[in-house]
Amino acid sequence: MSNQTNESSSGKSSLLGWFDERYPVSSTWNKHVGEYYAPKNFNFWYFFGSLALIVLVNQIVTGIWLTMSYVPTNAGAFSSVEYIMRDVEWGWLLRYLHSTGASAFFIVIYLHMMRALLYGSYKKPRELVWVIGMLLFLVLMAEAFMGYLLPWGQMSFWGAQVIISLFGAIPVIGPDLALWIRGDFVISEVTLNRFFALHVIALPLVLVILVFMHLVALHHVGSNNPDGIEIKKLKDNKGIPLDGIRFHPYYSVKDAMGAVFFFILFALVLFYAPEGGGYFIEAPNFEPANPLKTPDHIVPVWYFTPFYAILRAVPDKFLGVVAMGAAVVILFALPWLDRCKVKSIRYRGNSYKVLLTILVISFFVLGFLGTQPSTPLYTKLAQIFTALYFMFFLVLPFTSANEKTKPVPERVT
Amino acid sequence: MKKILWIASLLLLPLTINVQAAGGYSIELESANNNLRDQESLKRGAVLFSNYCMACHSLKYMRYNRVARDLGWSDAEVISDMAHGLDTVTDNVMTRMQDGVALDVLGTKVPDLSLMARLKGDDYIYTFLRAYHQDDQGEWNNKVLKGTAMPNVLEGIERHSTPEEYAEAARDITNFLAYAGEPSKLQRLDLGWKVIAFLLVLLLLLYLLKKEYWRDIKH
Repeated sequence: MSNQTNESSSGKSSLLGWFDERYPVSSTWNKHVGEYYAPKNFNFWYFFGSLALIVLVNQIVTGIWLTMSYVPTNAGAFSSVEYIMRDVEWGWLLRYLHSTGASAFFIVIYLHMMRALLYGSYKKPRELVWVIGMLLFLVLMAEAFMGYLLPWGQMSFWGAQVIISLFGAIPVIGPDLALWIRGDFVISEVTLNRFFALHVIALPLVLVILVFMHLVALHHVGSNNPDGIEIKKLKDNKGIPLDGIRFHPYYSVKDAMGAVFFFILFALVLFYAPEGGGYFIEAPNFEPANPLKTPDHIVPVWYFTPFYAILRAVPDKFLGVVAMGAAVVILFALPWLDRCKVKSIRYRGNSYKVLLTILVISFFVLGFLGTQPSTPLYTKLAQIFTALYFMFFLVLPFTSANEKTKPVPERVT
Repeated sequence: MKKILWIASLLLLPLTINVQAAGGYSIELESANNNLRDQESLKRGAVLFSNYCMACHSLKYMRYNRVARDLGWSDAEVISDMAHGLDTVTDNVMTRMQDGVALDVLGTKVPDLSLMARLKGDDYIYTFLRAYHQDDQGEWNNKVLKGTAMPNVLEGIERHSTPEEYAEAARDITNFLAYAGEPSKLQRLDLGWKVIAFLLVLLLLLYLLKKEYWRDIKH
């Protein structure tokens, strides 16, 4: 497809031609940007992929500058964050960009995943795009969890203490596994050091590689769209999809517009509510970590609360850990659990619409319950909505096999 | 577009609910009504903090020259008014009490107050300062934090001034501690709207650019 362009730009005289003979500059650009044909009917939900990439860049760049002043020691961690907030030029901006960015990352990723559920973007031939995306989600959760320890406040310390102790609930190997993760009998400077190493280099490296693979897989099979139609099925005589448009300039300019709209919302939080109402930066984290003083109410950051609520809903600690793990892992199987051939919710039957609505409501309710202290009523509610959450995945294989779907149009609408 | 705005406002909605507000104190917190832009109040608060609080408390993440710069003092003024000539401008605002004395005298460690306003909120500090009362046996206690080791340091002000002056003193100290919790806050608030105004203009330009490009696309 890109051969023609290659030949025309590889004239001996041009600088680009010199490079093209030695490195696939033009062909790579064309394959992924210049001549990547995307469906022309992308809607609002299709902004979140590029936004996730932008937030990742924000996290990496601000993270590099924070690392220049942050000290990963028992004595230095908390005070170095305050040093950044007070004495480093623009340090407060870097820190808030990074802390707000962490929450923004999850908002964007959850909406990005929601898009896949709405339009069946995980279905054949995009199963690997989904699986790689889920790996990204898993690594992102680990990255966020480890990053949250670094400010070394009370919630950092006790949140990590609670989560790592969960591994201790695994039979036989549990206690040794928790010890191995912490590197100590309690959360200590050893734990802080290794979380710092994993947070600033190991996991970001994995994230970047997975993002690369996610995009390679996507560009190999082509983007889905709100109608769930394969645009590659109908091509013109030059082999260009009839409903496809070049990513650049059409979607680069559209995504740039979406990005600036996102920046405005981001700036509103960053400048006027950086604590995010106590959800993005929890108030107890303004007190240094104190192993001798347990906070009354330990809550993970909001993006983990749906899974935390599932954990607490199960009376047995080990089974709770299993349920929490299953709540994430089961998403990997979605391409195979959903047996409906029709992709987009626009043409799918009522059963899927009902199930998806229940899933979304359950996720929000569990997210709320995870922020609250557990009372008998809340525990009961958490159990009901945990059951409803899993019901989506258990019922879907049966309902989707013979769903009453609407006819899917030939061309995008 | 309407849908986008609707979803966007929905996403920002939880931020307006402050989880910190659900503190669960035994009395309703009074509103501090402090104003970070009131430099005179901050200066009075700094001097009161120095005279009434620094005997025990520190602001270890705050430096004198930063206080001076933000509150409109010269380096010499901050040292004479706030540090009683005892410290230099690059020093951090540390307590006058020697190490270990608090444990002997009060039976507890004294918390650093740099981040108290962010930990507990401005209203908490204001109410706490004004919540001291004597019980039937003449023992002092605090309605917000029962059994606190901290004495009623503002007793003298309460006794020798009008209720308004006493309230103002508590408000000024609260204001200064709110400032100390996040010295860059005003810079943040003042920069924010400029960034957003710039982004709005950029959004308009990008919207027009997008519309221009997308004229080629037939639907």
